[in-house]
Parts: sequence; C-alpha cells; structure tokens
Amino acid sequence: MKKTLALLLAVAMMLALVPAVLAEDLEPITVTVFRGDPGDQPTEDNKIYKLIEEEFGIKFEFEFLAGDLDETLGLKIAGGVYPDLFDGGNSAEMLENADVLIDMLPYISEEKTPNLYKHIYTENRIAQLLDDDGHLHIIPNYGINYNGQVQNAPSGPQFFLQKQVIEFNDYVVPTTLNEYFDLIERFIAANPVNADGTPYTGFAILCEDWRHFCLINPVQHLMGRPNDGEVIVDVNTDAYTTTTFINQPYAKDYYKKLNEEFNKGIISRDTFVMNYDQYIAALSNGTVLGMFDQAWDFGGATAALNDAGMYANTFIGMPLVYDESYGYGVIEEHYVNGTVMNKDRGFGISVTCEDPERMIMFFEELLSDRWQIILQWGIEGEDYYVENGRFLMTDEQYANLNNSEWKRANKANTIWESCPKKQGLMDDGNAWAPGDQAEIYFGQMNAYDIDFYAKLGVRVPGDLFDMTLELAPYGEAWQIDKTPIEIDYEDFNNIQDKRLPELIMAAPADFDALWDAFVEEINPSCEVYSAFMQAEVLKLVEQALGN
Amino acid sequence: MTVNARILPKRKKSLWNIIVQQKWLIIMSVPVLLYVLLFNYAPMWGWITAFQDYKPKDGLMNSDWVGIKNFSWLFSRPEFLDVLRNTLAMSIINLVFGTVSAIVLAVLLNEVTKTGFKRVVQTVTYLPHFLSMVIVVSMAQNIFSSNGVINDFIGKIQDLLIKIGLMENKPMPVFWLGEKKIFWWLQGVINVWKEVGWGTIIYISAMTSIDPCLYEAASIDGAGRFKRILHVTLPGIKSTFVILLIMNIGHLLEAGFEIQYLMENSQVQDYSRTIDVFVMHYGISKMQYGIASAAGMFKSVVAIILLFGANFIASKLGEDSLI
Repeated sequence: MKKTLALLLAVAMMLALVPAVLAEDLEPITVTVFRGDPGDQPTEDNKIYKLIEEEFGIKFEFEFLAGDLDETLGLKIAGGVYPDLFDGGNSAEMLENADVLIDMLPYISEEKTPNLYKHIYTENRIAQLLDDDGHLHIIPNYGINYNGQVQNAPSGPQFFLQKQVIEFNDYVVPTTLNEYFDLIERFIAANPVNADGTPYTGFAILCEDWRHFCLINPVQHLMGRPNDGEVIVDVNTDAYTTTTFINQPYAKDYYKKLNEEFNKGIISRDTFVMNYDQYIAALSNGTVLGMFDQAWDFGGATAALNDAGMYANTFIGMPLVYDESYGYGVIEEHYVNGTVMNKDRGFGISVTCEDPERMIMFFEELLSDRWQIILQWGIEGEDYYVENGRFLMTDEQYANLNNSEWKRANKANTIWESCPKKQGLMDDGNAWAPGDQAEIYFGQMNAYDIDFYAKLGVRVPGDLFDMTLELAPYGEAWQIDKTPIEIDYEDFNNIQDKRLPELIMAAPADFDALWDAFVEEINPSCEVYSAFMQAEVLKLVEQALGN
Repeated sequence: MTVNARILPKRKKSLWNIIVQQKWLIIMSVPVLLYVLLFNYAPMWGWITAFQDYKPKDGLMNSDWVGIKNFSWLFSRPEFLDVLRNTLAMSIINLVFGTVSAIVLAVLLNEVTKTGFKRVVQTVTYLPHFLSMVIVVSMAQNIFSSNGVINDFIGKIQDLLIKIGLMENKPMPVFWLGEKKIFWWLQGVINVWKEVGWGTIIYISAMTSIDPCLYEAASIDGAGRFKRILHVTLPGIKSTFVILLIMNIGHLLEAGFEIQYLMENSQVQDYSRTIDVFVMHYGISKMQYGIASAAGMFKSVVAIILLFGANFIASKLGEDSLI
C-alpha cells in the first residue's frame, strides 16, 4: 500500500503541471482538521475548497474550538483520537509534548519540496523551529516574509487609546505612561459620558486565562524591552541575563500608577472579573477609552466599531515608556521587533494521519506562487483584477473580504490561516496580502481615518513606532515552551492573577505593604522561572548563532 | 403485597420460579445495570492512574508508578485544602438553602386553595430548572455587576438615606462578583433561584399522600393553620425528607461544577474552586492526570464514608434507611 502510494505520489509530482490528471491519479481522501480557535464552517459549494478538491483530491472536515482551548486539547490527548491536521492554537505545546504531532523534517528536502525547503531553511530559520530532539512539528502559520515585511499597523502589544481621545488632545499622542493617564483623566473630566449617557471607562485590563498578558506584560515595554513574556533579557552582554520583572521595583511603579488611577475612578473593578467575551463587548460599545493589549486580540471589537460607523471610537496604538521622573533615565521604546516567526503555531500533522507525505505535498503545493495568490487574493477577474502589473480590488471586492458570509463561500480561510504562507511582497512588488497592498490600504481607508492620520501627521499607524529595531538572537522569549515547569509556572501565574488586581484595588495607604507581601510571595516561583528561562534563552542563542 | 401474602397459602418458591415470575422486571433493569457498569464501575479502572505519573502516550500499562506521591503532593498544597473547604462549605450551604427553601415553598403552596394560582406559581418557580447554567450565570453576572440592577437599587436607597441625613458618604458599590467572602452565598442564592421549584415537586407529592382525615381531625381538635402545618404536614413529609437528606449527604462533596466553573475569576478563585473544578483544571487543562485521579478518588472515598454514616444515623433514628 505504502509503495503504491509513494509511486502514485511520484507520478503526481511529475504531473504537477497538469492538475486535472493529478486528481484522477490520487485516490480522493477526506482530511479531518481541528483549529484551536472558533471559526465558521465553509459552505458546501465553497469555490476555493472545490478547486482544492479538484486539484488535490482532498476534502476537508473542519472542527473548530468551542469552549476552553486547554481543556479541549487535554480531552483529545487523553482520548487519543486526533484530526489529521491539528492546529493547537495558543497551546500547541501540549500537542508537541504529548507526541501527538509527527516530525515533518524527514519529508522535507530541496528536491522533493523546494517551496517548503526554501520557506524554512532561508536565513537559517530552521534553527529556531526545531525542538530539543531536532524535530520539526509545526511550520509557522505567520511571520515568514518574502522581500521584506509590510507592517502598516503593528499587530503586537501596545497601549491603545480611542481616536477621539487623541483628537481631544489636539492630535498629540502621549509617549509616556504619565502623559497617557493624564490625558485619559482630562478627557473624562471633560466628557464623563458618551452621547447615549453611558459613562466612559478610562482604562480596561483583561485578566482572563492566558490573555492576562494585558495585566502582567506592560512593565517590560515601559522599560523599553520587546515582548519577552514574563522576563526581561539583558541583550547588552553575552550572558543574556534573564530575570522576571514582576518582582522588581520598576514593576511596582506601574501597579502603583494603576492603583492611583483606580482610586481616581479611571479603572473599574468589573474589569478584573470580565471574561474575554465581556471585554470585547465593552470595547465594542465604544465606552472603553484605553487599554494595554495586542491589536489581533480585539479584532472583533474593531470590526464591530467600524461596522457601526463609530470610527472615532476605534483605537490607535502607541509605544509608551516610563518618563525620566521614574529615575530610569531616558528609555527608548522597543515595541515592534523586526520579523518574528510565529513559532509552534499553525498546522501540525498528527500521528494518526494515514498519509502524512500527501499532507506535506499539499502544503508544498499551497506554497507555490499560484496557490498563494488563489488563497490570499482569490480568482483573477472575480475577486481582484490586475492593472499595469498591480493587483487591485474594486470597492465591492474589498468589502467582500470583510464579509464573513461571503468569505464562507469564497475563501478557504481556515486552511489558509493555519498553513505555511508567504507574507511581505511578491517578486514583482505586489503585496502577498491584499490588505498590505498600498493602493488598497489607502484606497479603502474611511474618510474619518484619512482625516485623522493626516492631522496626526503620519502616513500609517505604524509610523508612531520605531520599525527599524532588530530581533534578538533568541527571538521573543514568550514563545518558549514552559511545560517542563508546568506546576511552578502555574503558581507563578496564579499569584500574579490573584494579587495584582488586589494591589490595584487596594487603598493607597495599604499599597506599599501589600506590594512587599506580594514580592515575598512570588519570589520563590520567580527564581524557578528565571532560572528555567535563562537556560532556554541561552539554548536559543546558541542555536541561532550556531556555536 | 402484604395483603396477598396473607390470603394465599404459603409456598416455598424456587429461585428459578422467582426469576420466571419477575422476568419483565429483570429485563427492564438490564439497561440500568449496563449503564451503571459501563459508566460507574468500568471507569474505576482508571483509578490506577492515581498511583502513576500517567502520560497518554505511554498508556495505562507503561506509565511510571509513583506510589502515593500524587496524594502526598495534593495534601501538601494549601490550594487543595482550600478546595476541600470550599466544596464542603458550598455543599452545606446548598443543602440547607435548597432543602429549607423547597420545604417552605411546598408548605406554602400546599396551603393555597386556589388551584389556578398554585399552578402558576409552581410553573414559574420550576421553569428556571430547565435553563442552562451558562444562561443563568450570564444573567447573574449582569444583575450583580458593579452597575447592575442590584447595585442600582442599593445606590438608590443610599441616596435616599443621604437625603434624610441617616448616612454621610455613599460607599463604593458592592463588588458582588469579585469579593471572596460573598461567593459561597451568591452561588447559594443563584442555586435556590434555579432549583427551588424543582425541589418542591417531591415534597408536594409527599404532601398529597397525607390522609385528609388527619387535617380534619386536627381542625376538630382545634388546631389552627400553623398547628396543622406543624403537626400534620411536616411529620407527613418527614420520611421523604430523611431519604433525600441521606442521598444528599452522599453527594456532599459534589458541591457542583458548572456554577463554580463559570463564575470563577482570579479574584474569587480561592473561595470558588471545588474538587470537580480542580480535577478538571489539573487533569484536563494541565494534563496532570495522576494528580486529578488522586483528587477524584479521594472524593469518592469520602463520599462513600459520608453516605454510610448518614444511613447509619438515619436507621438509628428509627427512620427508613436507604441501604
């Protein structure tokens, strides 16, 4: 059986230029797919999936996340029944550690899979992708750019404010923590309620489950470091000294500031008991003025605000740091971090998949220029048109991209989002993603935003950030898998989740004493965590520098 | 049965005769027996993971044996002791609240003579039982949020008190959903709201089986309405009450899962987490199967002890025992 299939594959590859023949030779199969986040089932007659079926003989059966991710993955692992293509979302480490995913490396070679080979071996990317045993379980779904990166608006961590607040401040964007909260206070003093009479909330903090990064991550950024999760790495020495920051005096400054703001009524108590849905609902109704978050985390709220025409209530991100009054000197912001591969995120192939080779060949074909254009742009003439070599969309075509019903029938979103993909620019200068194409990005911008950015004096939101910073050799430390110290990590997180909200909600007079108690309580797990992360960071540096 | 036994001549039946005679009863009980074997006894095999460092990839037979390490780890965690305390506390609160509210409502309904009104009240009170806990908790989260209906109402009263000079400053609104000490009682109240109507059904049916002559006799003896409740209605439902109590005590470590799971947040977690949520969290999310099995096993053992204890006490008190 194996031999016949291999033979079939060989034949298939030879005939790759004649897709119709290929489908006839390959036995049609149904591939089960799990996605670690909620999603929409495509329609029965989805045009792209139809094309995939014709060309590859592959039909998909999708399962999307409903409920808690860790629990769902845990149940699947305990049950031992896996989908063929398995995207574990934000907890894919669970799959890797439970040996659910196959090692893809043996299937990838320069001769057989040139696209994939180029994709992961260029710039020695492979060094970062392999686990300790030298296995490759997942090819990143995002963050591999061709011909440079297009980043009009950073999608990572930032402090956000509603655009109307910036408008209120005569289009001056705060650059420090104190300016930021001062502005929110002034805005609320002048406008305590919105047009409907609902009071504004100055600052929201999401603290649910893994999304608690909104609560615990800001300190590193205020100190001028990129997103390394819960540690600060000193990149100025070869020792790459790695320390947790939450137990440091410079973390106290941030939470003390939040405590002050809480006692001024800028932060509501409800924010600490909100779940993600409630948080998105709060942002969507336009009454939350600011928060620390990552742009992709509240995309639903941004879409809802735009749909409702509440453009002034949409958010703009900014890189804040501590000002000099905190005594840490002048801090340069470092929010955007070069190109970060989304390591360990995307499709893995499960050990129960009957024909992993066929899946790899499928990824390989999808990574061809032709398929990348089909997946990202669509079908020429139907979904986009080409003028003077530039890929363009009519208003209607672009509007379709934001229409989930249309997408269900005309895009293969689920597959595209989790598959290896090309980002950045094509060789001819067109952007791989329609939203990155300059003509489309600016052509589709609503009148409010055009006016807003003009008055702000920036071309794109990303201009507020330093986009030239380089990624450290270890990547971004948040990507490090913490499963080996699972229970200690759990304690480390638990203490922060419980105590930080208590600290913020404390009476100002009690704050110092409570902070000292917090530091004492968390120090033991900080030590375990720092030591673990230090070792992992050094390992990554060694891998990247190859010595 | 007893009547028949007296009339018919005594004859010793063979086991086979009994089986043949009761064949329909036996056939009817087969599905239940299978159900219990499949879902209650078969999974006990998994208890061996409590003594293992279980990894799904190694399977039950090949995982490392660790003795009682999982149990000693559990009992060395202050968190687990909190979890035990929460489970017991919420269970007792739910048992007392649930039983008392159901009996009170049942007695009240029993005294209502207008059947129309009685039916409406019964229907309205037991409808929430059919709502999913997810919906109930979402409603509760809205009602009890900082600017929800309850705090609105309290705020209005406080405004009034300030106006007439009985109060000086308006305090912060109550933080119903994030205050540790409130959680047990809040979930108790929500449970009562959801289950009170359902709970009355069994008591009302017990009350209908009370002989009306007893009420008439009591009235003739000069008993008023309250005396009749005290001396006729309540003794009439005593055996039902005891049976339910025994069953509930067996479930004392099952304080519930859904409501605690849905209403949990980092602020109340120390007081909200029950054994079941703990098992779910460590067993499924954190993949510490051994620890979760150990906790689940501990729970079952304690439940068996409680059940037999309650049964023993009940039979000593001269009531019907369950086992």
